[in-house]
Amino acid sequence: MKKNVLSLVLACVITAGSLVGCGGSGSTQATTAPAGAQETQAEGGGETGGESQKAQADSADLSETDKIIQEAQGMTMEELAKKAIEESNGKTFYGVGNSSRGKSALPLFIEYLQSIDPSYTMEYEWQQPKNNKIFEQLSADSLKPQGTFAMTLIQDGNQIESKMVQTGILKTFIPKEWAEANGTTAEEYEGYLPLQTLNKVFMFNNTGSAVYMNCWDFIEEGSHPLFMDIDSEIVGKNFLYMLTEDQYAGWLKEAYDALDADKQAYFAPVIEEVSADAEDLGLGENGKYALAWIKLWVENYNAQTDDGPICNTLVTSSATDQSGLLVYSKLRSVEESADVSKNNITVAAYQDGYEGIGGYGYCHYLFLTDNSPLPWTACAFISYMTCTEEGFSAWGKDMGGYSSNPEVMEATEATYQHSRGGYNEAGENEFDCENDRGYDWWTTEGKLVLEDPEYCADVSFTVGSWIEMLTKYADSAQ
Amino acid sequence: MEKTNRRRVLFLNSVRTYLSKPQNVILLLFGIVLTFTTVAPIVAIVKDTFTIHPGTIDAHLTGKASGYTCVNYIDLFTSRLARTNLWKPLLNTLLLSGLSCVISILYGGFFAFLVTRTNLKFKKYLSSIFIFPYIMPQWTLAVVWQNLFNSNQVTGTANGLLAALFGFCAPQWWCQGLFPSAMVLGLHYAPFAYILIGGIFRNMDANLEEAATILDTPRWKTMLCITLPMIKPAILSTILLVFGSAMGSYPVPHYLGLTTLSTKYISLNSKYTGEASILAIIMMIFGVAILGLNQASLKSRKNYTTVTGKSGQLSKINLGRVGKYGAGVIFIVLTFFTSIFPILLFALETFLPNPGDYSFLYTGDMSNLTAKWWLTSENITENGLYGQMGILYNSTIWSAFKGTLLVAVSCSLIAGTIGTLIGYAVSKNRRSRWAGYVNSMAFLPYLMPSIAVGAAFFILFSNDKINLFNTYTLLIIAGTIKYIPFASRSALNSMLQISGEIEEAAIIQNLPWYKRMFRIIIPIQKSAIISGYMLPFMTCLRELSLFLLLCTQGFILSTTLDYFDEMGLYAFSSAINLILIVTILFFNTVVNKLTGASLDSGIGGN
Repeated sequence: MKKNVLSLVLACVITAGSLVGCGGSGSTQATTAPAGAQETQAEGGGETGGESQKAQADSADLSETDKIIQEAQGMTMEELAKKAIEESNGKTFYGVGNSSRGKSALPLFIEYLQSIDPSYTMEYEWQQPKNNKIFEQLSADSLKPQGTFAMTLIQDGNQIESKMVQTGILKTFIPKEWAEANGTTAEEYEGYLPLQTLNKVFMFNNTGSAVYMNCWDFIEEGSHPLFMDIDSEIVGKNFLYMLTEDQYAGWLKEAYDALDADKQAYFAPVIEEVSADAEDLGLGENGKYALAWIKLWVENYNAQTDDGPICNTLVTSSATDQSGLLVYSKLRSVEESADVSKNNITVAAYQDGYEGIGGYGYCHYLFLTDNSPLPWTACAFISYMTCTEEGFSAWGKDMGGYSSNPEVMEATEATYQHSRGGYNEAGENEFDCENDRGYDWWTTEGKLVLEDPEYCADVSFTVGSWIEMLTKYADSAQ
Repeated sequence: MEKTNRRRVLFLNSVRTYLSKPQNVILLLFGIVLTFTTVAPIVAIVKDTFTIHPGTIDAHLTGKASGYTCVNYIDLFTSRLARTNLWKPLLNTLLLSGLSCVISILYGGFFAFLVTRTNLKFKKYLSSIFIFPYIMPQWTLAVVWQNLFNSNQVTGTANGLLAALFGFCAPQWWCQGLFPSAMVLGLHYAPFAYILIGGIFRNMDANLEEAATILDTPRWKTMLCITLPMIKPAILSTILLVFGSAMGSYPVPHYLGLTTLSTKYISLNSKYTGEASILAIIMMIFGVAILGLNQASLKSRKNYTTVTGKSGQLSKINLGRVGKYGAGVIFIVLTFFTSIFPILLFALETFLPNPGDYSFLYTGDMSNLTAKWWLTSENITENGLYGQMGILYNSTIWSAFKGTLLVAVSCSLIAGTIGTLIGYAVSKNRRSRWAGYVNSMAFLPYLMPSIAVGAAFFILFSNDKINLFNTYTLLIIAGTIKYIPFASRSALNSMLQISGEIEEAAIIQNLPWYKRMFRIIIPIQKSAIISGYMLPFMTCLRELSLFLLLCTQGFILSTTLDYFDEMGLYAFSSAINLILIVTILFFNTVVNKLTGASLDSGIGGN
């Protein structure tokens, strides 16, 4: 009560000095429905959210970008390319994204446009903010009558839905060829446009004696898996939210049942401890297994600033028995040396007899900004990235990223043969961890937990708040 | 009617008389400008604490998507997360700031004493090298700390250098948390203490200490009762500057795993945007409190007017033949680890095959070294560079370098000029309340934590009317406001030393104001004024906390450096560090050669 009064007094004092001149404050009711249905699921990982697209089409007062999107969705890529040439010749294209590879894709796109019109030129700038700043950046840019950024490549379906789509800052464009490849149409498809699904997978350093044959082994006593801090990369939090969904909680229960009696005895008290919370949070019958796993994960993971340092650590011979959950493709840049080798790590799910979840899959989505300065060019670029192998090559050349366009995914595999990525020129299996088993394997046998923006948005203030109450390993060390 | 006219004439005359003095015009102009630039961001951030942000806790709790609410305050102070989100970070912040002050004052103050008051050897070298940690971005020492002390056994990562080479595993409290954060910040700000305390030591009249010696006073008593009170103002100044700076430091606690208000601000910002703004306000309140302390300490300085700088008496303590060399060698070793070793490590890092892969050291196999981080000219094929081009060909790094130079030079010129003018005007009107107000307004942003100032500027300039996010203009505005104190303090202190008679003589000669400034005032206090330009320049080059929220990485070097450090691409971040250090040393040397002024001038062996 004292604190309540204190905070109110503080609030009033500060208000007095600040609200003068703030102007009106007409409040509007939030659209509480977080994300829409996902009936039409694109193959290749198209987790979707929001009925925003439908609402966008139905709306009587469409923005200029909405109108362009409507028109562009009926056009072929070549037609879009001509529009882009007309619109952006000699100009500068600004893009922002969670993936640095947008910067590699843009010159290829310009080359493609130059194959249609050799005189075409376009400067470009690609920004990759960290620490969740992309949302602040897009929000700030949305306030301008004409924005800086033409489009974005963005992750974290939860925040996209609540901060970007419901507020009308971002607009979805579905390329004609992409819809056809997925057996749908732009009008029928509901949800965001995914460029690709990325996977974060459980790996461990195999130079010691530690055994990780079950996803519960990563949270056993004394185990401190390396993981990007969930407050730094929010998709990590989404992973934890997703575990409470019935299907994935069921996978955790199955994995728990497969543990030997000693290990079950270690985890059982925690499961019991959180069972009441699982009920309070309205989770399914296996929700307590999910909460127990989450609790132990949060209380034990060793927070790192990025997946890069995690990968660099795990491949060194001195990181004996350490484990981590990190983006699979990070392995691509490891150089063999006396102390470092890709053979020092094992991908947990690739082991025969491994039980439980193998990792986490989340999408990179593509959007136009509502105040896009180059909407046609943005549509053409999005179409180029999602509908051509070359356009996707900036990501496709590496393992662990799977195009949402099944045709592009197939062509990419045929070109880069990621399933044999660990084989050397002599045909020997030199680095087994680099033999990517592909999207289909990961989403079935590999038991990849897939992000569902709608579910994440639903539980972010229930399960999310529960997670925030846990004491992180880093904090307990303080 | 006539009476009214007379009053009007009198008023106009008094206005004319007031404005005929350049210092009054300066004070009036900058009083208005600084009030806006300091108060407006504060108002903007306070407003933000009441604003409902879509997709965040306030929208969830109120069920509204826009409008205003007090729910952020209620939730932050009273929810079950109050301990995690507020009280614990606040306690950590205070501990970190306090400990950083202690470390910087003990280390920097003791070094200043040795350099100025003893016959220590290698002074000139030590004096120059001691300020290196301040030149380098603060978190680079944190990264060096990690590279040295991390171990698989304790931190659960790959082994650092000491563990790999000697099997030494430092304990957890040494590797992460409060202690290393305070050590790193303490070492980073020790040059502050050295410059401030050293300045007083150097100018201090030794007669009092000698009198105590003649009266057979024990040395410890002389130190406690005479020396320490004399340097008390400098110690207080150091505390004020270091406390505020450490409080607003984001990268050091972030890298060394300490939750402070700054790191909490960043982590809360996505889901608890309004509550994060309250944290920024709390940091600002501390800034204002520190300003109050500063004012109090200024008043108390009247007690120490024996520190005049006029005495020619300065006796030096003889450390003895062994002592003068021994202490010199100890500091050579210490400064090697704080100044030289990080640079060597940065240089080495750019030739390692993988980040942190020092295998060539224990295998002796030099083929494990590579120049790929420098020379790779494309990013199409996989070269182990995570899709980046080599440093020499990396357009992101070089365009960020140009951006940094633009921001640093602009901030330096604008802040230096404004600060010098304010210093001059305040010194001329030192008894005026308005001058005191302008002086405080100019100093306040410096005492407010950088991350909070950055957050306030972000909110102020990201709206539908003025949208300067990710522009050099915004960075220059924020940098200028933040660094005016460097110049104003430096100018004020030096201008106070100039007797009014000198300028009065020029006025009698009917010399216009600008000629008096350029021909008399500035040449006399050239060194202090140039410091007022150099400090903003140098600080701006490697500032991160202030600019973190105002632009994206790749825009300036410090954000690019932070980006590469976070990504674990230490070769790139090390190269950027080297670029920054070389740039600062280059400009410092050029200015030193041209004007004779340098950061440590007047203290070290000069």
